[in-house]
Amino acid sequence: MNNRVNELDVASATSSVKLARRQSEPAFPKKRKKRNGIYWLQMSPALILLLLMTIAPAIFLITKSLTNDSLLSSNSNFVGTQNYHAILTDSSLLHSARVTTIFVILVVLIEMMAGLFFAQFLHQKTKANSVAGALLIIPFAVAPAVSAMVFRELLNPNYGWINYFMGLLGLPDQIDWLGNSFTAWVALIGLDVWQWTPFVTLILIAGMSALPAEPLEAASVDGANAWQIFRHISFRLLAPFIGIALVLRTIQAFKTFDSFLILTGGGPGDSTSPINLEIYRVALQSFRVGFASAMAIILLVVISILTPLLLRILSRATQNENV
Amino acid sequence: MMPIVFMITTSLKDSDIARQMPPKWIFTPKFQNYMTVLVGGEGHSQGFDRLMLNSIIVTLSSTILCLLVAFPAALALSEATFRKREFLSSWILSTYMFPPIVAIIPIFIFAGKIQALDTYPVLAIPYAAFNLPIVIWILKSSIEQIPKEIEEAARVDGANGWHYVSKILLPLAVPALATGAILSSILSWNDFLFALALTRSVAKTAPVGIQEFTGMYGTDWGSLSAASVTIIAPVLIISIIVRKRIVSGLTFGAVK
Repeated sequence: MNNRVNELDVASATSSVKLARRQSEPAFPKKRKKRNGIYWLQMSPALILLLLMTIAPAIFLITKSLTNDSLLSSNSNFVGTQNYHAILTDSSLLHSARVTTIFVILVVLIEMMAGLFFAQFLHQKTKANSVAGALLIIPFAVAPAVSAMVFRELLNPNYGWINYFMGLLGLPDQIDWLGNSFTAWVALIGLDVWQWTPFVTLILIAGMSALPAEPLEAASVDGANAWQIFRHISFRLLAPFIGIALVLRTIQAFKTFDSFLILTGGGPGDSTSPINLEIYRVALQSFRVGFASAMAIILLVVISILTPLLLRILSRATQNENV
Repeated sequence: MMPIVFMITTSLKDSDIARQMPPKWIFTPKFQNYMTVLVGGEGHSQGFDRLMLNSIIVTLSSTILCLLVAFPAALALSEATFRKREFLSSWILSTYMFPPIVAIIPIFIFAGKIQALDTYPVLAIPYAAFNLPIVIWILKSSIEQIPKEIEEAARVDGANGWHYVSKILLPLAVPALATGAILSSILSWNDFLFALALTRSVAKTAPVGIQEFTGMYGTDWGSLSAASVTIIAPVLIISIIVRKRIVSGLTFGAVK
């Protein structure tokens, strides 16, 4: 049971070895310079590819966002910040930003809580739980485009299974799920929760099986009840894993696209149309590149404000558990 | 589990009973739908066999590209003497947050200009790039765990840098390379957004292609389910076998 402590010792020992190495290095300044060159050479393909897919598009979009470019006409005029003005005063775009925000907050909250709940029951190493572990990976493996399509069929008011089973349970069974905005939201969130809660659960199970037993035993000897143990001990020790799952799911939830397009198509009306879908439509269906670029830049700015925060949580978590 | 059960049972049903309500639980399974689907149905821009072939080509090429680029980078980033390693590692991690939709507009315009829309590279290169952060981190965290003594011993024995990497480090990194390859393949295979935006018919992949099945075959749920099962089956089997690696990989090696 001292495993964890030993691991930490080893970790700090290796990092101090690394530190010692780094400090002793200046003895061979020339050699180090040469080696740094090799490192940059090794890095270069990856850096080029990543710059090409992130920084270069961002620069391109900034220049485009100041124009009224469209793929349908060859006119290109500099319009200054006009696009940004239009976006920030357009209520339907603010609405789609709201859709994205609400979606991210709701699914992440629900998935974290449900994941914690299920992990409590499934973390002991029994045969049944290892079968459950295998089943839990299934939703992750299903292509989101496929699961969205299957959900759409299951929710079909005429021959979908969901209404049928609700009827069996004596619940309302004539619901036109995707026909009104509240139930469409329920469907979207249900799909995401179905797809990702099991994955969150797997992360937390991995965390729980790495927990040391002593603090828990000590607490129960001291007469703490189950809730107190969970609240004050398990939860604290699990924090890095909760952090990882939280960051991962937040990032992925921001990127969600498939289920919106396939399941609800943003509808009814634009009630479930997130910013990703709006950008896609403006850019690749109306071909208003200038306008779409400005939207994309605004999204990028918002994400880069969030990124350092998420990174800090992630790096703290990976350092605690990994090193 | 219900969506899975629905998909599999429907794929084995005849079209006349596929939509019966209440669902028919006892029926003679028929593989007719799979036959129809795999030999390629008509009425689509591409037959399903071609869609699958496209998916396989794009997935394999993007994964190979990704590993080739990621491995040397991970080597450099796991060297304690590399001065910028901390900064570069966290920058690479931060690119994981870059929203794909933002990259798609320039890629679409640029690929249109060089007549590259609807080709394999226009999908494979962005996939490789967007999977890079995860794969680099998986490789980096596993290479960092290889004890320094092994490298020192190898050098004492007269191995040069290249020898050490190819004969000693590479074999030790095989499990991490496998994890990276599996994750990158799954993510490319399951992608929808890039394939939707950047392909029309020639290079269209399966997840996008089957969306047409609904429109064209308003009622043919059998074929659609058979196609869906065919798409998810390989990922499902691999995921169940290596699920610990998948969880560990997707969390950037933070979960063991």
